[in-house]
Amino acid sequence: MSKILRINTREKTYSFETPAEDIAGLGGRALTSRMILNEVPATSHPLSKNNKLVFAPGLLSGSPAANSGRLSVGGKSPLTGGIKESNSGGLVSQKLARLGIKALVLEDKPEDDGFSMVVIKKDSVEFLDADEYVGVCNGDMITKLWDRFGKRVATASIGVAGEQRLTSASIQFADPKGHPGRAAGRGGLGAVMGSKKIKAIVVDDKGTDRVPLHDPEAFKAANKKWVELLTSHPVSGQGLPAYGTAVLVNVINEAGALPTKNFRNGRFENAQDISGETMAANIEKRSGVATEGCHPGCVIKCSQVYNDKDNNYLTSGFEYETIWAFGAHCLIKELDDIAMLDRLCDDFGLDTIETGVTMGIAMEGGIIPWGDGKAAIELLKKVGTGDPMGKIIGNGAAFTGQALGVDRVPVVKRQALPAYDPRAVKAVGVTYATTPMGADHTAGYGVCQNILGVGGSIDPLKKDNNVEISKNLQIATAAIDAAGLCLFVAFPVLDNPEGLQMIVDMINARYGFSLVVDDVTTLGISILKDELEFNRRAGFTPKDDRLPDMFKEPFAPHNTTWDFTDEELAEALKF
Amino acid sequence: MGNVLFNAFSFLQKKLKAQDIPCVNAVLDLKDGQCVKDILDSLGITPQDIEGVFVNGKIAPLDTPLHDGDRIAALPPGTPGPYRLLLGLVSSPGHKSGERSDKKKDPAK
Repeated sequence: MSKILRINTREKTYSFETPAEDIAGLGGRALTSRMILNEVPATSHPLSKNNKLVFAPGLLSGSPAANSGRLSVGGKSPLTGGIKESNSGGLVSQKLARLGIKALVLEDKPEDDGFSMVVIKKDSVEFLDADEYVGVCNGDMITKLWDRFGKRVATASIGVAGEQRLTSASIQFADPKGHPGRAAGRGGLGAVMGSKKIKAIVVDDKGTDRVPLHDPEAFKAANKKWVELLTSHPVSGQGLPAYGTAVLVNVINEAGALPTKNFRNGRFENAQDISGETMAANIEKRSGVATEGCHPGCVIKCSQVYNDKDNNYLTSGFEYETIWAFGAHCLIKELDDIAMLDRLCDDFGLDTIETGVTMGIAMEGGIIPWGDGKAAIELLKKVGTGDPMGKIIGNGAAFTGQALGVDRVPVVKRQALPAYDPRAVKAVGVTYATTPMGADHTAGYGVCQNILGVGGSIDPLKKDNNVEISKNLQIATAAIDAAGLCLFVAFPVLDNPEGLQMIVDMINARYGFSLVVDDVTTLGISILKDELEFNRRAGFTPKDDRLPDMFKEPFAPHNTTWDFTDEELAEALKF
Repeated sequence: MGNVLFNAFSFLQKKLKAQDIPCVNAVLDLKDGQCVKDILDSLGITPQDIEGVFVNGKIAPLDTPLHDGDRIAALPPGTPGPYRLLLGLVSSPGHKSGERSDKKKDPAK
């Protein structure tokens, strides 16, 4: 049976333990959220010794199931003050699973200022001094770790933002090519890792066997159908591989839902300049990589390598939300400047959504001019030097808004809103308001018709049915996060009545469970209940489930407003 | 008589650009009585090329009548995003992607 690996960061000791009965069948987000609820006092300071940082592979991670290499990272968020699950690709999830590690838990915190790193191998867990790496950016860090421990070992590291314990700090993961483009970005979990003085974690699965499968033949049959499902659907088989998520710039702009100039209207006149189509053309022209996976076994391959004008590596994993945050939100129309801002976030270890929104708040507060990409790059570089202004920027939108006297701050539970305006697609707004995570589009992303139970069309500009849709999306997403699956599997699963059954079949064949499709709903609800309970204990109330008043303004071009009552929003996660 | 603003996205933009067909913020002539499909036909775009068409920011059927100053955009199959269902791009289970669930009994002409 898989074990829990506990790391005491103060004593520099470790122990393996057999999981207790109530967590034995859980993985991914289900496991991180249950462990945080059970083990972290909800009122504790997120940077204190009482907080824990839990890394958990999904239930299918490490198996041959396509697109199952996602990792959940959980803790109490320094940004929101509530529970957090942040999800990433990279190599850690599959290697932990192959080592038989169900969860890796960082506990306690050192009393001195020295940094360490943890190296986990088949027969050893080692603490090594990491002071020589303090100040090293994530890209260089991966190079150094691969040089020292071997190419393709899994790495999780923090940059200077995490070292400074800034609340936008991410944890960055090496992708299969050794670029730092994968992140557990949201919620400042990099600051928790920094508070425990862990600069990096290395996971090497050399010498391990394949993960055991309870019924190999049944697993093989289900995975074959699963791969066919993913590769034959136009979104996961064609659209995402060709353009990545950035294809959404033009689409969401056309829908009038692309928040522009700090959520003032829904269309950006320079959307074409920062579009996925422009990105793809630049990649082709500059000898970049148009399509690659964020973890081995990915068949969707929505990631890419974006080079500069001289054909040198600039950034990777260049996502729609990042392009929006530094682009339309800040009125920056030069895609190369946005790519540099993405690169700096990866290197410093910063959440790109939080930091992009914060950059717009800095423009709102008059620190730099709207649309000035070069000024934004120089401002962001201050995070790397420890400059006080860098510390303000690195602490996110709410903090920066307060520091600069700005009254227009798009956050829920102090976490910045992502790239879809809540007035133009209202179900996502309901998710922003009510998810225990703080404003988060991925909290309501996964969709599958068995759970949805809605057949007709939904008018995104009206309130009807949107609370119910948000609720169902949040349940489904939580379950997908528990399985370790990429959220983009939701598109083909939505369009195929057998899709969800395939996932259940693979989990059953892996573990010998007897789950049925309805159990997926039950699992999703139980995850959300755990998260809501943690937040309740932490002091959250229904008044935290609201959008800021700025969203009561009419939003062009559709001129809709945010018009849900508190009573309506209270229905979203009532179980 | 009048004009419409036309855009094509994703694979369709690449395809049209290769044929020198205007597809990025293109201003096209509009004749009286023309609908979305007439404009697409005039550009050589077939129903198989598209998953959905925006008219003034909302997904609309191909027989939607057009007016001077309208803004239309064509999307090929394969567009990701959490809004597929919400924007009306997603089909019902078992139906071909691109067929709006509320229009499946009345497919675009």
